Amino acid sequence: MSQIISIHSFRGGTGKSNLTANLSALLAKAGNRVGVIDTDIQSPGVHVIFALKPSDVKLALNDYLWGRCRIEEAAYDVTAAAIGRFDESAARPRLFLIPSSVNTGEIAQILRGGYDIGKLNDGIHELVSALDLDYLLIDTHPGVNEETLLSIAVSDRLLLVMRPDSQDFQGTAITAELARKLDVREMFIILNKIPAGMDREFLLQQVESAYGAPVLAMLPLSIEMATLASSGLFALRFPDHPLTLELMKIAKRLLS
Amino acid sequence: MDNSANISDLQSLITKMKSAVAPLRDILNGLHAKYSAVQEGAVATYIPELAKADPNWFAISIVSVDGQVVEVGNHQQLFSIQSVSKPFVFGMALEDHGREHVLTKVSVEPTGEAFNSIVLDERSNRPFNPLVNSGAIATADLVEGRDFPQRVTRLLEMFSRFAGRSVHIDNTVFLSERATGHRNRAMAHLMLNFGMVRDRVEETLELYFQQCSVLVNCHDLAVMGATLANGGVNPFTKERALKAEYVKDLLSIMLSCGMYDYAGEWAYRVGIPAKSGVSGGIVAVVPGKFGIGIFSPLLDPRGNSVRGVRVCQELSQRFGLHAFEAGFTGRTLQDELARK
Repeated sequence: MSQIISIHSFRGGTGKSNLTANLSALLAKAGNRVGVIDTDIQSPGVHVIFALKPSDVKLALNDYLWGRCRIEEAAYDVTAAAIGRFDESAARPRLFLIPSSVNTGEIAQILRGGYDIGKLNDGIHELVSALDLDYLLIDTHPGVNEETLLSIAVSDRLLLVMRPDSQDFQGTAITAELARKLDVREMFIILNKIPAGMDREFLLQQVESAYGAPVLAMLPLSIEMATLASSGLFALRFPDHPLTLELMKIAKRLLS
Repeated sequence: MDNSANISDLQSLITKMKSAVAPLRDILNGLHAKYSAVQEGAVATYIPELAKADPNWFAISIVSVDGQVVEVGNHQQLFSIQSVSKPFVFGMALEDHGREHVLTKVSVEPTGEAFNSIVLDERSNRPFNPLVNSGAIATADLVEGRDFPQRVTRLLEMFSRFAGRSVHIDNTVFLSERATGHRNRAMAHLMLNFGMVRDRVEETLELYFQQCSVLVNCHDLAVMGATLANGGVNPFTKERALKAEYVKDLLSIMLSCGMYDYAGEWAYRVGIPAKSGVSGGIVAVVPGKFGIGIFSPLLDPRGNSVRGVRVCQELSQRFGLHAFEAGFTGRTLQDELARK
């Protein structure tokens, strides 16, 4: 059974895309076929972490939504960039990225609207079956827009990423409420960028009682992650770092 | 800001997303792919404007009475409504005059004849039913208004209430209908001769040509159907488009006379009140539940959309939509609107 997982945060800067990329690599490394789709059409970014250059992107999610190609034609095999050496003759592991276009004209065209949001649903299902995916991770646009709501509605699991910050606190409540209205099946909170010295136990209780959803991980604010500045996969670069170990816990939960 | 408006905006957004991920979407995509392969039939050519239709256009829209919308294909493509307009104008005549008077002007008997046949029930001095051309012209005669412009305005307002948006007349289609509508003109004058219509016959013919030239898309047809399914109230605007007491009048003639001279077999095989038009549209109604719109301009010899008829047939059989279905045990269309 394949699993569709949306990763969302109400505000930008929570580390959502880095988390998505690292989780996808860990899931692939565990011997799975994994896809990452960037539905953040307005401000795409996750491709950077996989070192996919805009000039190498011939077709993107936008092209599929406008009916110019099949969705699997916009998928790029980034297995080597994500997990290093792997056996190319075996079907697993594999990691595919479906980027959104960074062409300003393309972004503007989508912003003007006029595409059928149902097509995104069809594309997500087609992708899972065409690429025989075990996991599809959806990197969403922060805040609330149609792509985000559709991504949440189509998911089996939703990971809400937030920092221990009052603005994130309020915003996450909004997303959690919307997700419940959309009948999301399973919702988890991931607390990210927790400064050293913060009362973690208090924070955990506060968050779980506020949203009625379990906290899946509490990730420390990491100098190394910040220094990496999205120029690569943290989990690959620092396999024994405490942050990587926490990320592996999340992956393990998703694998179960 | 009006908070209640915001809440209903939010609710409609949630409904939209739930519809977009409903299993019914996969089912309609499947039907669309399956029947796209059907290339039988021909685009109507009796007026030049209709001949311009692309035979590949194909859309299926389903709208539930609680406002869920699932649609695939070219559901935004506009086309002239043609005969699909007829039951709706009949509803307007009923509202203007009441059932008793209307039935003295037009009968509700299926004919088994083609839509444009010049057969009138001379014994009762009425056209057979409001869904053949003669009956539709007699029905248009009953649309009231202080002058011709007001009759047209009222007609458009009625269609707009059903569709939940402001609809317009395609002037090219109208002029084309008017220039080539000799048969309808003859029929109208014949009815005038029998005293079946009032002497404003030229004006009524203009109104009839206008009503056939209203531009709609497949989505509109489904919303109009859903409005009937919802007891006459548009599920989105919540505006009443037809008095509740007359909904059954429209639906019963649609079931018995809605599909031209295929009506008897339609009632038997499909069993859903429906009306087709020569531009390739079909509106179908599952009372209390759904409106269905189908658009594909390839027509069979009787003037019904080939793909439209087949899609309705399959939907009816698979989901137990026949009006006289009893004890259906399979998954229903409602089941397919919620995620499993």
